[in-house]
Amino acid sequence: MQAELGIIRLDLLFEIISGIIALMVTYYATKAYRLTGQKRLSDLSTGFLVLSAGMFGRVIGTWYFLAREPSDVVFGIVTVAYGVSRIMAYIIFVISTRPIHREPQEYDNAGISMLLMATFLVDPALEVIAIFFLVIVVLQAILNYMTTRSKFAWYVLVGFVLLLVSHIMMAQVGVAPGLYLLSQGAQLLGFLSLLVMLYQAGRDI
Amino acid sequence: MSKKRPYRSKMRILADMMRAIQSEGEEGAGPTKILYSANLSHDRLTQYLDELVEKELIKEMDPESNNRSYLLTEKGREFLREFVRMERFSEAFGIEI
Repeated sequence: MQAELGIIRLDLLFEIISGIIALMVTYYATKAYRLTGQKRLSDLSTGFLVLSAGMFGRVIGTWYFLAREPSDVVFGIVTVAYGVSRIMAYIIFVISTRPIHREPQEYDNAGISMLLMATFLVDPALEVIAIFFLVIVVLQAILNYMTTRSKFAWYVLVGFVLLLVSHIMMAQVGVAPGLYLLSQGAQLLGFLSLLVMLYQAGRDI
Repeated sequence: MSKKRPYRSKMRILADMMRAIQSEGEEGAGPTKILYSANLSHDRLTQYLDELVEKELIKEMDPESNNRSYLLTEKGREFLREFVRMERFSEAFGIEI
């Protein structure tokens, strides 16, 4: 039991660090949006904000779960809310990082709203849905890297690939529980890659 | 089939103009140099130059002279540095600005 609690605490520490990095990306994307007026940067900022909110929600919810009498209801709510927030964030990433070759068109708001609403209708098998959307995000990141060959695009690609790996591992936890912490480690590495990108991009020429 | 020119936001056009001015160093850049480097029409050039001067991002070297030349101000240099940071960030996610 002590070992399990230790793993959970380490997992929460990883989650807090990842959440802070997600907030830093949110701040940077908002700053870039204010300077340039590019709507897609605002969407990116929203995506990372939703992601960090889900992470901190999970940390707080799990602490609540550990500190009080274990409750399947609370744990279930925390797990579903966490999964849904991540899927919403990945859908926003799919939209904001999609490749375009001309001036961005107005989004079909009704369509996007329905897509986001649909995430509330799924059951706890959320990892598979997250993997689906993250595969699209990774493919877009690959296309972007192939086009720009920039080291900044490379860090983002590595970050999203590691997030994808983390979800694939998480989906296997049922058959191999040891993958749980590895999954959290992969997620942390993914966010650290984004942190390196932020640092490199923020440096003076 | 002709290739479509990529969309440039107003902010990018202003940054391109400021880069053209910066590339000329202390000698400053004339309107023709800026026009060609930033790929602008004459009307747009005049409009944007006025805007940059008004925002104190660039300044005219000698307003009395017939040969106009522009220099970046300190505020302009800081703006350009910030723009480059945001440009790298956006490029990392495949977002054009």
